Formats: sequence, C-alpha cells, structure tokens
Amino acid sequence: MNILEGKNITKRFGGLVAVHDVDFTLQSGEILGLIGPNGAGKTTLINLISGFYAADEGSILFKNEDITRMKTSDINKKGICRTFQIVRIFPKLSVMENVKSGLVERKRRGPWKVAFDSLTKPGGKRSGKGRSDERAAELLNMVGLYGYRDETAENLPYAYTKRLEIARALGTNPEVLLLDEPTSGMNPKEQNEQIDLIRSINDKGVSILIIEHVMRVIMSISHRVMVLHYGEKIADGSPKEVYSDPRVIEAYLGGEARAEH
Amino acid sequence: MHSKVTKIILGTIGVVLLIAAPLVITDRYVQHIMVLSGVYVLLAVSWNLLTGFAGQLNLGHAAFFGIGAYASALISMHFHLSPWLGLLCGGLVASIFGGLLGIPSFRLSGPFLAITTIGFSEITRMVAMNWVGLTRGSLGLYGIPPLTPIKLGQGTSIEFTTEFSAYYVILALIFIIVYVVSTLHRSEFGLTVESLREDEMGAESIGINTSHYKLAVFMISAFIAGTAGAFYAHYERLISPNMLSTGVTFSIITMVMVGGIGTIWGPIIGAVVLTFLSEGLRFVEEAINLDIRMIIYGVVLALVILFMRQGLVGVLSGLGRFISRNPERQT
Amino acid sequence: MESLFLQQIANGLIVGSIYCLIAIGLTMIFGVMNLSNFAHGDFSMLGAYFAIYTTAYLSGWFGWISSMFIAAIGVGIIGYFVERTMFRPLMKRPTDIDVIMLSIALFIILENGAQLIFGATPQMVVDPFQSASINLFLFQTSYIRIFSFVLAILIIIALQVFLTKTKVGVGIRAASQNSKASMLMGINVSFIYSLTFIIGSALAGLGGVLYGTIFAVYPTMGAMPTLKAFVITIMGGMGSIRGAIVGGIILGVAETLGGSYLSMQYKNSIGFIILILVLLTIPQGLFGRGKRHA
Repeated sequence: MNILEGKNITKRFGGLVAVHDVDFTLQSGEILGLIGPNGAGKTTLINLISGFYAADEGSILFKNEDITRMKTSDINKKGICRTFQIVRIFPKLSVMENVKSGLVERKRRGPWKVAFDSLTKPGGKRSGKGRSDERAAELLNMVGLYGYRDETAENLPYAYTKRLEIARALGTNPEVLLLDEPTSGMNPKEQNEQIDLIRSINDKGVSILIIEHVMRVIMSISHRVMVLHYGEKIADGSPKEVYSDPRVIEAYLGGEARAEH
Repeated sequence: MHSKVTKIILGTIGVVLLIAAPLVITDRYVQHIMVLSGVYVLLAVSWNLLTGFAGQLNLGHAAFFGIGAYASALISMHFHLSPWLGLLCGGLVASIFGGLLGIPSFRLSGPFLAITTIGFSEITRMVAMNWVGLTRGSLGLYGIPPLTPIKLGQGTSIEFTTEFSAYYVILALIFIIVYVVSTLHRSEFGLTVESLREDEMGAESIGINTSHYKLAVFMISAFIAGTAGAFYAHYERLISPNMLSTGVTFSIITMVMVGGIGTIWGPIIGAVVLTFLSEGLRFVEEAINLDIRMIIYGVVLALVILFMRQGLVGVLSGLGRFISRNPERQT
Repeated sequence: MESLFLQQIANGLIVGSIYCLIAIGLTMIFGVMNLSNFAHGDFSMLGAYFAIYTTAYLSGWFGWISSMFIAAIGVGIIGYFVERTMFRPLMKRPTDIDVIMLSIALFIILENGAQLIFGATPQMVVDPFQSASINLFLFQTSYIRIFSFVLAILIIIALQVFLTKTKVGVGIRAASQNSKASMLMGINVSFIYSLTFIIGSALAGLGGVLYGTIFAVYPTMGAMPTLKAFVITIMGGMGSIRGAIVGGIILGVAETLGGSYLSMQYKNSIGFIILILVLLTIPQGLFGRGKRHA
C-alpha cells in the first residue's frame, strides 16, 4: 500500500525549475533512498512534502488524502515528520525539553486551550498530558542520549544533535519520517550507529524517506532507491538496479567524464 | 525538600516586606516611585514574554501601554465606565491591537518585524498627536477619573487618590500577572513558546502552529501592557502622546536586558532597579545640570548585551552557585 | 495645480536622492554583514554636525566642500571604531536580536550624547549659494537642492565604479553574495566587513551633510532617516543597492506628494504604510534575492 504518493510535482524558484514533474511513491513500511548530485532537488522535495514549500503543480497524497497545500504543522499532525540537513534542534533548551516539545498533544488544542489548561492544571513541569516524562525517557534511551537529558542541547556533539532531532521527531508519532542527510558530518562508527537506529525505527513500522550522500549508507539501508537529477527523476528501483543504471552513472560522473574529452 | 522550605520562607518574607513597605516608607515621593516601578514591572514582564520567551522582537511596546491608557481614559471619561473595569478594557483594546501587530509576525522576523513594530508605534503616536478631537493632541488628556473608592459601609470607604492605596492596587496586579506568566512559562505553553523562539522551522516541523502561538503571545503581552497603561492613566490622571514614544520602549528593553532577558525574575528586578536608579540620576542631573540619564541607559544596555547577556539574574544565580559550592566560606 | 505637482515631484526626487545615499549605506552593511543597524541615521546626524563645525571655521564654498570630506572621513572613523568594538564581537551570536538591540543602545548613546555636546537647538549648515533660488520653467527650486541632487548622483556613480572596477569593491560584492564562498576565494572577510561598515557610515554622513544644508540639524534628526532607510531597503530588497536607489526615489516622491495632497501631519507615516504594503505583498522587495533553497 502507498502511504505517501507524489503526482507530477513541479516547483519553480524564479526561472529555476527545482523539481520537475516528479512522481514517487513510498510504500508502507518501506525505506526509500533519495539520491542525486548537489542541486538535484532532493531537499526541495522534502520541503514540498513537509509543507515548507507549496508545489506549483501536481499533488501530494498521504494515505490518499491531499496534503499539497497544508501547513507544515498540520502535515505533522497527520503523521509526517521530518529532520533537517542542518539540524534544527532548540539549542538553549535541555535535551529532555527538546524531546518533550514534540510530545505535547496539540492535535485538537489551540494555544488558548493549552494556556488555559496550563493555568488550571498546574504542577506538570513543562510536560504535556499523561506520561510524557516516561515517553521522553524512552525516546532518549532509544537514541542513546538519556545520559545527557539535562544537558543544554547546544552543548551536544554534532552527531548527537542529529540523534536528538530524530528523537524529537519520533515524539510526534509519525507514520512517515523524512530524513535529510541523517549521517552527514559523522565518522564511520557514528554512521553505523545511525544506520542501526534508522533500521530499528523502521522495524517499529515507520515508513522512511531518506536523503543521503554517503552511498554506503544509502545502499545498505534502502529497500528502494530513487534518483533525482536537475529536478527530474531519472531512476527508481532496487539499490542494485540503480547502482548499475547508465543514466545514474552519467549523472554522477557525467561532468568529469565529459571534462576528459 | 530543604531548598523548597527555604523558598517558602524567603517568599513569605518577601511578600510581607512588599506589603509592609508603604507603612514604613511614608514619604509620598518615594511611594510614587514605588508605584511607577510597579507599572514598569508590568511593562517589562510583558515585553519579556513576547521577546524574551517567544523571540518576537517588539520595538513598539510603548504603543500597547499608550493604547491601554487612552482607551481606558476615554471610555471612563465619555461613557462613565468604572475605572476598575477600565483596567480590563484598556487591556482588551491593547490586546486587539496586539493581535493586529501579531499578524505580520507570521511571515516576518528579526529586523523586518522590528521595523514593522516601530512603524506601528510611530503611527499610533502620530494618531494620538494629530487626532485632536479625540485625544487633545500633544496637550494630552487631563481630568481622568481616579479609581473609584470602595465603600466599606457606615460612610467609610477606601480612596484611591493616594500613592499609598495605588501601591496596593499595582502590587495586586503584579502578583496576579507574575503568577500567570510564571505558571505559563513553567508549563507546556511555555515550552512551546520557547521552542518557537529557538527555531521556528523546527517548531513547525513537530506540529507547532507557530502563527497561532505568536498571535496568542502578542495578545497576552499587549493585554498586560494595556492594563498597565490603564492603571497609569487613572493613577496619574494625565496622559500625553509622550508615553507612546520609542524612548519608553527603549527604557523597557533596557530594564529587561539589565535584569536578565528570558527569565521570570529578570524583568522584575530590572524594572525596579532602573526606575529607582533613574530617579536617583534625576537628582544628579539637577546637581550638575546635564541630561545624562538616557546616555547612561544606552551605555548600560550596550555593556549588558556585550558582556552580561544573562543580566543581574545571571550574576545573582552565578553568585548563588558559587556560595553553595563553597559552604565552608559561609559564616 | 500642474506646476505644484511638478514642483512636488522635483522636491521628492531631491529628497529621495539624499535618502538613497543613506539607504545605500544601510543596505550594503546588511548585505555584507547581515547587520541591521538601527543607529544608521545617527551617522547622518554626526555627519551634519561635522559640517556645522567645519563651515563655522571655513567659510564659503571651500568650507562647504571641505565639510563633505571631513564628514565622510570623520563618520567613517567613528564607524570603524563602532564596528570593531561593538558589532564585531556579536557577529557570532546566533540571533540577530542582540545585534539589533545593540544598535539601539548605540542610537540612544549617539542621540543623547549629541544633545549633551551640541545642545538641542536646531542649526543649519551654511548654504554656499546663500539660499539663491532658480526658476526652471516648470518648477522653482534653490540652487543648493539642485546641487545636492547632482552631488548625490555623482557619489552613487562613484560608488558603483568602486564596486565594479576595483578589486576590493568586487570583494565587497562577493561577500554580499556569499561570505563563505568569498572566504574560500581568499578574500579577507574581516577587512571587507570593516571597510563596508566604514563606507556605509561615511555614505550616511555625506547624506547628513546634504540633509543638514537643506533642512535643519538637531540631535534627534537621525531617527527618521534610519526608519526611512529601512523602509527603502526593505522596499528595494535587503542588500540590493539598485533597490535602495529605486526605493529612495519612490519614498521621496511618495512623501512629498502625500504631504501636500493628503496630510502634512501624517507625512512621516507614509513610509510605514508603504512598508506594510510591501511586506504583505512582496516581502523580498523589488530587487531582493528570493528565498534560497538547498
């Protein structure tokens, strides 16, 4: 079953076509790798799915519901969460607070209701309803950051901030997780830990779309790989097929190959 | 548990001191400064809520103060509404304008929002200056009714025309508002608001409707400042467009920065310290016949931003940590 | 009626050209350093006072022309000092709130310092044409206004030549596009920052001399030019010099027309109304670089 589907998506910035007529599907429970040279439109695609940009043409369906023009926060409430190429954690808040901020149940409560509840049911220290402390602890244990729970997030090493961002995203209970270069800036050991983490998230039934530059990571983790080049989809298939696809080789090596002539 | 007990004891002592203060300090001029510093506490707390907690740089806060003051003054003068209700009305009217100013913040941040808020307060000031039919222009409004006396029966009643009684009104307002703001800050509301300050895109990505929260914070902040304005109008009984000037906003900003931005106690401490300091400087100015007050504000603001980002609260808590780490030094 | 209209257009162009000078300084500093200086107009105020004192000692044409140089150099030196001691240490702070508030502190210090040193009484830079006016068939104006307009244009042209023809100028433009890339290209970014701030404040100072010759000089004169420069810069697109020129002219003309046909009292609000309209319709400004995407 397709949990997420894009149909003929096009996004332009001025004269530049960042994403051109791209179709894609993400199956339920799948890890889909998204690769392509710099400027291929990968992050733009994630920005379109997560509602940071609105597509100029085409539509994006989540569980057959059109989410193309929805606001980012509403898309998140539907069950899609993303991480960022350059992490966007909350630097001055503690590690615990970072995770808790995603746990707050806002689905049917506006800020006024949240404020009212905060005043009438005091005592919960920055916690949402119910067992948010245990849930946050569980998530921090899962990414291996429980020991740092009271640390200010900006003091974490870079690799840990990436894990914190994933934990925060998981707090919103997503069915689809969009990961933008989750292993960038990591050493091979950290990369392997990150691969294990992503696999364990997937094992819990979360469908994942992952952008990654490190081929070793993408080839080992993805069930299927899709390739963008200058905003167009040029390949889509198993990691093996894609790896040997001449158009993909041309896209990655084309510049250098031509330069030799 | 020990620290909790100490906190309760210190808190009780503080409250008793605040309540007893005007009984001990009977000089009406000093009492007046105490009331003024109370007004500034409300302004500083509300600006800090918006800029310190939510990260929305507002350089037009004086507009909310002025709108609250004019609204309550005009309503009580023309419609003979009780000034007590005026406190609420001033807050509500300011809160509506707060909502209007909140709308641009959905799309703007940093310098763009800052300049929009200055523009808003300048336009408000120009309206107050030029709509003479309503506001009497630069002459200002005078003859604003004071808070009406509370009858105790048998012909006795509490009058609110003295600094002494006004002090208790502003103190009560401060207790209520600081309680509400600090409770909100400790709750999930506070966490959500701070996360949008820290990273708006990050907050939006985890399901926080940043626009709704910004709007709410703008409205709450404006409400508090408007209430402070309404109180000020019925206390001074004379208001002018000067209270809408950017100078007032900059004073509020300096108070919060000196006390410690993004903390609960910072704005309170900063407002009290700077109100008294600037009154003290007034005497120095008269003695040396030079206007040095605002320059000192500017220099202090610059120094705090450059070298003391956490303000007095940061210094005090640093000191507290230092003492508790060296128990043997305590005598 | 028609001649009044032309008269106002002419006045608007002249005032607009001075706005351009001040706004270009602001937009350059924003473009290169990502710094919003809310004390920018106070550099104009300082420039005007440099001119007041220069022309008090040196009379006539020589005095006035020297005052331009002295204002540019004097304000440039103050700008360098301010950049190095105040803004530079903040460049690494993650939010721009600190920088904006520091510039407000600077604004308070300069405005009130000027009040203390120069007194609050408005003064005027001595007009070298002795207020002679000229009738140009369609409208009437003073020589000094025409001269200021031409001078402002010459300064802008000179700046453009500097930015396109010299190596340092190209470096400034490169830093404005992307400071990381220019660092890789071996451009000394620290030097570029200082230089940009010096040039930006000197331009504000020059604008102040022209402004102070046509209008009055007083300690709080800087606040309005600051706000107007921001309106212009946002209208034209933050960081765009072309935008600052077009925006300055638009604001100058809109203000004089609005002031004479709508309401004199609300003349200074016109900029803010334009600002709100621009921010709601084209937030990136006329010549702004659109939102970058990864």
